[in-house]
Amino acid sequence: MINRNRAAILTALILIAAGALCAWLRIKYTLKAVGFQDSRAWRLTYDINLSSTREGKIRIALPDSTPYSHIYRETFSHQGIWVDLLRNKRTKGREASVVSMAGYQRGRFLAHFDIQLKPDQKSKLPPVEEKISANDRAYYLRAEKDVQITGPGLANILNQLANEQMTKTELLTRIFDYCAENIIKGEKDIFSDAENTLEHGIGNTLGRARAMVALCRLSKIPARLVAGFILENTQEAQVHYWVEAFSQKKWLSYDPENGYSAQLPITFLPITRDSIDIVRGPDTLGYQSRYSIRRLLTPTSFISSQKSRLLNIVDLTRLPPSMQEIVSLILLLPLAALITTILRNIIGIQTFGTFTPSLIALSFIHADWRTGALVFFIVLSVGILARLLLNKLQLLMVARLSIVLTLAVLCMVLAVSVLDYLNLTPSASAVLLPMVILTMMIERFNIIAEEDGLPNALKIFATTILVSVCCFLVMKVELVGRLALIFPEVQLFNIAILLLIGRYSGYRLSEIWRFRDITQIPFK
Amino acid sequence: MVRAGKLPFWLWPSEFRRNGIIGINSRNINLIFPFNPRSNYALVDNKALTKKLCESRHIPAPQTYALIQRFGDIRRSIDLLFGLSSFVIKPTRGAGGRGVLAIAHRSGKGFKNTKGELFSLEQIRYHISTILSGLYSLSGQPDQAMIEKLIEPHPVFKGLTVAGTPDIRIVIYKTTPIMSMLRLPTEASKGRANLHQGAAGVGIDLETGITYGGVWRDRVFDVHPDTGASLGGVTIPMWKDVLKIAMQLSCAIGLQYAGVDVLLDAEDGPLILEANARPGLSIQIANRCGLWQKLRNTNLKQGFA
Repeated sequence: MINRNRAAILTALILIAAGALCAWLRIKYTLKAVGFQDSRAWRLTYDINLSSTREGKIRIALPDSTPYSHIYRETFSHQGIWVDLLRNKRTKGREASVVSMAGYQRGRFLAHFDIQLKPDQKSKLPPVEEKISANDRAYYLRAEKDVQITGPGLANILNQLANEQMTKTELLTRIFDYCAENIIKGEKDIFSDAENTLEHGIGNTLGRARAMVALCRLSKIPARLVAGFILENTQEAQVHYWVEAFSQKKWLSYDPENGYSAQLPITFLPITRDSIDIVRGPDTLGYQSRYSIRRLLTPTSFISSQKSRLLNIVDLTRLPPSMQEIVSLILLLPLAALITTILRNIIGIQTFGTFTPSLIALSFIHADWRTGALVFFIVLSVGILARLLLNKLQLLMVARLSIVLTLAVLCMVLAVSVLDYLNLTPSASAVLLPMVILTMMIERFNIIAEEDGLPNALKIFATTILVSVCCFLVMKVELVGRLALIFPEVQLFNIAILLLIGRYSGYRLSEIWRFRDITQIPFK
Repeated sequence: MVRAGKLPFWLWPSEFRRNGIIGINSRNINLIFPFNPRSNYALVDNKALTKKLCESRHIPAPQTYALIQRFGDIRRSIDLLFGLSSFVIKPTRGAGGRGVLAIAHRSGKGFKNTKGELFSLEQIRYHISTILSGLYSLSGQPDQAMIEKLIEPHPVFKGLTVAGTPDIRIVIYKTTPIMSMLRLPTEASKGRANLHQGAAGVGIDLETGITYGGVWRDRVFDVHPDTGASLGGVTIPMWKDVLKIAMQLSCAIGLQYAGVDVLLDAEDGPLILEANARPGLSIQIANRCGLWQKLRNTNLKQGFA
């Protein structure tokens, strides 16, 4: 017995050493370029709903590849609308022109943009020199509805800032400093036009950006507003506004709100330079727009050299991003198995089925957990109720299981459809629960409830959920998924730990509770 | 309910170790893997095979009326039931007393089980078919159903018997009985004699066959949870025979660490119910004693290290 324990420990040590060696070699030789640098890939999702049947056309500004960001994949899906992709005549920005289709109550435009940021730079490349036509020049010096350049207050401020010896460049810097320092950042619903912002010295993001545009234009520096996004994980991305001013034959970017001048971080993704709205259309055409941004696993294929070496087989980060997502999900499963093993063999928790909690947790990883949990409980309660009723008919097992499975599938599909109808799902990636696993869980629940009583069944159900939640919380940590993908050799550590647990002959935590009585009332 | 002693909330594992208590992990790693070869599991996991073995070795076991192996056999077996007033239907590969239906007597066109619930012939047919389709079998594999004689519990268990048949679990290590307990079905266990399902266990002194205090739901109990009858002081009749047949079976099945369940019939005396390759650990609470101590003693007596 001791030999087996020793053999297990020895094997575990060898595995750990091998895993550590592999990881070290890879960090040293192949992963240098990638390492743990912050993510360079993002997914921007547009979800725009038209809730009107009235005729009209809306225009949706779309992101475009730039010198520092590359859209390596984009998918569009739409219903009830005609979509035409075109470019803006003046700014050359990409746009989608959308017209409602006759006969549809609602229209929906859903788009994903997977954006790869160029590595090795913390901020944008210096802008390229451009020429600007006289026509455009006049256009970017004009007065607009909310960018007033005529007011007396405006001229006063400019007089304070400017003096005669100043170059345009210096003036631009002073204008930026004024907007960034002297105008207080106000709430969302405070002034958003240039005149009021400058007059009261307070404005929201848009107001401050417009104030700067107005000051620039008044001092004959062509300037324009940029609407775009800052790339960060968020379910509800807010449109951010910043300013581009034409100086020294270049369009230079300024963000008065965050204090970036002349250069912006590469996470600033411009969408449109022609308007403050990403979606534009007549007001009569009701529409809601929603944007979300999610970080993706880094597709190294953009980073590392494309040399095809045999060693690259173990470099999973070279796989295409869509494949990476799946692979990292699969690689998380052993981790869930490890957690299950610990909870069962060391803590002593009972669950329905060994890997049921892991698989349930896995199905929640890429879904919104709230809707997922809702659908999960709906499917489960319908299944359990149906199983109770079916019991009265006394059907053979396989037929009965199949009926429960069919009902569960129907129920889930219906739930997903209802969620979509109510616009509750943030994206099309709705919850897809493991149906067969759920069916078996329903069956086990009913059998245990019938044979060992409902309290027992509920207890095991609760512990199953508990184990699922534990698995989910660990697997949800983004770093864990990335580590699993970058270092597949981590699985060797996993096996090593499992080997040790497999030879663990100590008490389970639950047994300390279970056997309490013996020690207190000893053998007579 | 009388509960002896006041319990602390937490105990250190060292205290358990000192008392020689075996946990599940230890049971699996130190007893079942080395002493119970997997190839011999088939004999104990399938009650029909265990029974065949008993018959060939002349070890007493309840009489078998029929073994139903295919769905086609159900009709013929149902005809057989008309001639019987009491019988037990059980899956051959069931676990934890699941799927066992004990019919005590006829009632008009139908049958009544030991708990007094009415069963129609149709329900019994359905029950057999669910057994055959594998609902109660250990791994969900298709199973066989066995129809046996219903045991009349020995009168000594009167007052301790609620809606089921008590049996005696004997844990045998290397052909030596090391611990035993009387397993009493309760209302909570729905007539089944498995401790984890709510049956009560009562430790039995191996030398004398006299019971002392018991266990219920993993806690020390001195009276039957339903009837309130005292659990200690019951002398098991024909105790030496009970031990004898248990030892005979343990030799026959080739498991060095086994739990043998013995029934005590009013007429036929001790009968083998089944053997178990993974006997439960609550027997330690019933006997107020850890299994390691007994194992150590056995090893010393038999000259093992």
